[in-house]
Amino acid sequence: MIWVLGVAVLGIWDIMFLNKPALLRVTNGFINTIIICLLVVIFTLILSWGLTLGLHFFQYRKIRSGYIVLTFILNLVRSVPQIIGVLLSYVIIAALITRGWIGGAGVFVLMAFCMSVFIFMEMVDLMRERISHFTKLDFYNAMKVCGISEKRIINSDILWKNSRIHIFNKLISVFGSAVFLQCSVDFIISVGLSTGVNTVSMPVTLGSLLAKMDSKQDILAIGNTLFNPGYLPQLFMQHLQGLTVAFLIVFSLFCIYSISNGYAERHRL
Amino acid sequence: MKSKLTEHILGLIFVSIILLSVIFFFDFDSLQSSSPASSEAQLLSGVPITNVNDPFQQQLLQNVMDIYYPGHKDKNIKTVREIFRIREDQFNQKLQSSHVHEKLSLSKLLDLAGMYFKFLVIYVIVMVLTYYGVQTIAVWRFVSKKRLFEHRLAHEANPQKVPARKISRFLSSFFKVIAYMILFSPAYVIAYSIRTEFNTDSSIFMILLGLISNGLLVMYSNKFYAFLVAESRKGYVEAGLVKNLEYRYSFPKDRHGNPCGTIDWKSIVRPVKQFKCHIFDHIFRNAHYQYLSTIKEQASFLITGLIIIEMALNIHGYLNYEMLRQLLYKNYDIVLTIVLGIFYTVKFTEIITDFIVHRESLKYEN
Repeated sequence: MIWVLGVAVLGIWDIMFLNKPALLRVTNGFINTIIICLLVVIFTLILSWGLTLGLHFFQYRKIRSGYIVLTFILNLVRSVPQIIGVLLSYVIIAALITRGWIGGAGVFVLMAFCMSVFIFMEMVDLMRERISHFTKLDFYNAMKVCGISEKRIINSDILWKNSRIHIFNKLISVFGSAVFLQCSVDFIISVGLSTGVNTVSMPVTLGSLLAKMDSKQDILAIGNTLFNPGYLPQLFMQHLQGLTVAFLIVFSLFCIYSISNGYAERHRL
Repeated sequence: MKSKLTEHILGLIFVSIILLSVIFFFDFDSLQSSSPASSEAQLLSGVPITNVNDPFQQQLLQNVMDIYYPGHKDKNIKTVREIFRIREDQFNQKLQSSHVHEKLSLSKLLDLAGMYFKFLVIYVIVMVLTYYGVQTIAVWRFVSKKRLFEHRLAHEANPQKVPARKISRFLSSFFKVIAYMILFSPAYVIAYSIRTEFNTDSSIFMILLGLISNGLLVMYSNKFYAFLVAESRKGYVEAGLVKNLEYRYSFPKDRHGNPCGTIDWKSIVRPVKQFKCHIFDHIFRNAHYQYLSTIKEQASFLITGLIIIEMALNIHGYLNYEMLRQLLYKNYDIVLTIVLGIFYTVKFTEIITDFIVHRESLKYEN
């Protein structure tokens, strides 16, 4: 609620004082960031659910080789820092766009998929924890004795009926991680690789907007205000684009964290 | 532990073999972009021509083509033109990238080793500081809440309505939000906002940024706090009370200055935290044990944060800025070498963490 209210207040302020092209860019950047991050959440859920089931059934049917290979691959991906993985995959995506192999909505989907590959492990861990917790309880054996299939117990009774709150809470934090990574990688690409990677063809996001020269100058003005407090009113009028983008990133991260915390406290997770 | 160590070593060997094979055996030059050309022209682009602008050589190649492919004069003229265009492009590209194109050599490797060492030193310092900071903040938060709760209980019968309290509460909430906003800011937002007034390119600034930015400290201190809260609700706490352990958090030191059973500032900020004769000592130790297993995740997040700081701030002479630079110049062998170095850092952190968790679990598990 506070997030929506904060963004709405900022939006009204921007409508009044920010020039139209800049307002359009900021709106586009914000919407694109949110779309990509929502897609990351969806891919994370699909990937982690599928891999958790895969790992469980390898373990359940005692297929050791399959289980070891899958765990080994997962642990390898886990050992690659997320930012490196996402950065390298974005460079590849940019190359694909430049060659005209992908475009339009496909770029969003591919960006989100690549990011979710480096994020979804946390969700796999959570789902596996939940499954191992419930398999130790009596109800698991009782259901098996009643003839209920393993698939149904895992999918419906453990993951859906008894863990969906935990999963939803994790998805909120995945969304937060996605916002952070998305903005950081786009900022890095725009600052460091702008001549090598065709940033024009990549979707505009909050990170790439912040890396623009005028936004950076707006942010630099904050430092000036620290030692010249009289400059403060001009900050909210003349440096609105950079401040809006920076505020949207920081405020969104803070609010997502608070939502996740509040949700966990409310449901006593 | 053995199986975990085997898995880590296998992972190290597997990734090393793959990346080293790519570094030493893959032809990265083939990835460099070249202008589109017909397959015939591409095929013949390797013919020995010393000067592309020499009309004699151009005519000579034209004549040779006419001898080899008689009856295709127009096609031969087109092919020869394309061959010369490709050669000219190649020459220009070589000229343009001569100052940026680098190969992995011994001297470059030594350069990278220096940067890697610097990265490791910063990483270890920030890791130690966050390890300390996370626990201290969480313990302080937990003890403060407990003290506040005890204070409220003690004054419940006679609650004092102080108007100044509302203002102080409002101010404290305001500063809390500001502090949270700073702690959640990505490193580049903080760095750019103070860049005009401070030198942001020093190692000390990097350490400071790594510590306070990207939400690292807040997230993990909150995790540790959650562990403390969960532990404080467990049954052994009541068992400890029965055994006469101190349970009051606002309990003052006794007249003889005996620290046993008191939680004061010193015990909260001490690097090795001990709260002797107090039930909180057990709560803390159990929470600490759970926290150990999250260090892997914290280390990985910290490395991500440090990489972002170095890359986003364009700090010259640092490992990750160098990686970004080499990525820009398409020197992929150097990029992969740096990636391998970072992978080793993560893996060794995981091995050390697993070892510490294993050693701790031997203490508690039968």
